[in-house]
Amino acid sequence: MNTMQAAPNTDALDQQFKEFIQGIKKAVGTGIPHLKDDPKIVDQAITDCKEILDVVMEGNVKEWLA
Amino acid sequence: MFTEKVDLKDFEKQDPEYQDLLRRVLAIQADCEIGGPNLYVKHILPSAPTKLDQLIVARTAAEEMDHFRKMARLAGDVGVDVTYTLSRPNQERYVEAFRGEIKTWEDYAVFGFLVDRVGRFQLEEFLDCTYLPLARVVEDPDIIREEEGHVDFGTNASAEFAAKGGESKERIQRAVDYWYVKGLDMFGNSKSYRSERYMFWGLKRRPNAVARQQYKDEIDALILKMGLTLPDPNKGRLYTEY
Repeated sequence: MNTMQAAPNTDALDQQFKEFIQGIKKAVGTGIPHLKDDPKIVDQAITDCKEILDVVMEGNVKEWLA
Repeated sequence: MFTEKVDLKDFEKQDPEYQDLLRRVLAIQADCEIGGPNLYVKHILPSAPTKLDQLIVARTAAEEMDHFRKMARLAGDVGVDVTYTLSRPNQERYVEAFRGEIKTWEDYAVFGFLVDRVGRFQLEEFLDCTYLPLARVVEDPDIIREEEGHVDFGTNASAEFAAKGGESKERIQRAVDYWYVKGLDMFGNSKSYRSERYMFWGLKRRPNAVARQQYKDEIDALILKMGLTLPDPNKGRLYTEY
C-alpha cells in the first residue's frame, strides 16, 4: 500500500500537458503533408503551434490548473 | 552499493538520502526538459529558415514538453511539485546552459548537436537504475529515440553550415565555441560527492568525469569531421576539474 502523498498539481499538470502536446503534434501532422501543395494549411498549422507554445512559454500555471 | 529495485509504493521506506537525491534529480531533469523550449521557442519558431523547419521546431518543443511531463509526473508522485519550473525566468534554471535565449538558427543547430546530446547522456544514466518508475520512463524507446532525433537534426544542420564554408562556417564555429564548454559543464564537478552518492544508491551509472570524457570523445570526433576547430575545453568553464 502506497502512503506517499503526491504533490497537489500532479494529475492536473499531467493532463494539461497531454493536451498541449497532442495539440502541437496534431498541428504539425496536419501541416507537414501540405508543405508543397497548400501553404494556407501549413501557415495555419504553424499558427496553431505558436498559439499553444506561447501559452506554455508564458507559464501561467495557476490559470491553466484553475 | 545499493542494488535493490524500488517501486513507488516502497519509496517512503527508503533511506532519507535516497529520497532526497531522487527528488532532487527529478526536479533538475524536469527543469532541463522544459528549459530547452524556453530557450528557443520565442525567437526560433518565428524565424526558422523554412516552414518545414518551423514545424520541426514546434515538434521538437512538443517532444521536450512530453519529457518534462514524464519527469514532472515522477517528481509529483514522490511529493515534488515542479510547476515552478514552468514560470521561472531562464536565468534561474538549475543548469547554466539553459539560462539565456537562443536567437539564431546556428545556435539552435549547435544546441541540438551539443546540448541535446548531453540530455541523451543524462537520460542514459537512469537506464536500469534502482528507482523502477524512472527506469521505466527512460527504457521506453520513445524518450531516447526522440532525444536522438533532436541530436541528429542539430548535428546534420551544424555539418551543413560547416560544409558551406566561408561566413557560414565561421558562424557555426562561433556557436560551437559557445556551446562546447556549456555542454562539458553540464556534467557537473568531477569531484562531486553527490555524484558518488547517486552512484552508491544506483541512481546513476557513471562518475561525472567519465560521462564527460565519453561525451567529449564523441563530440570532438564529430567537430573535427565537420572541418571545424576544437574549442579550448577549459576556456570559460565553470567546473575546471575535468
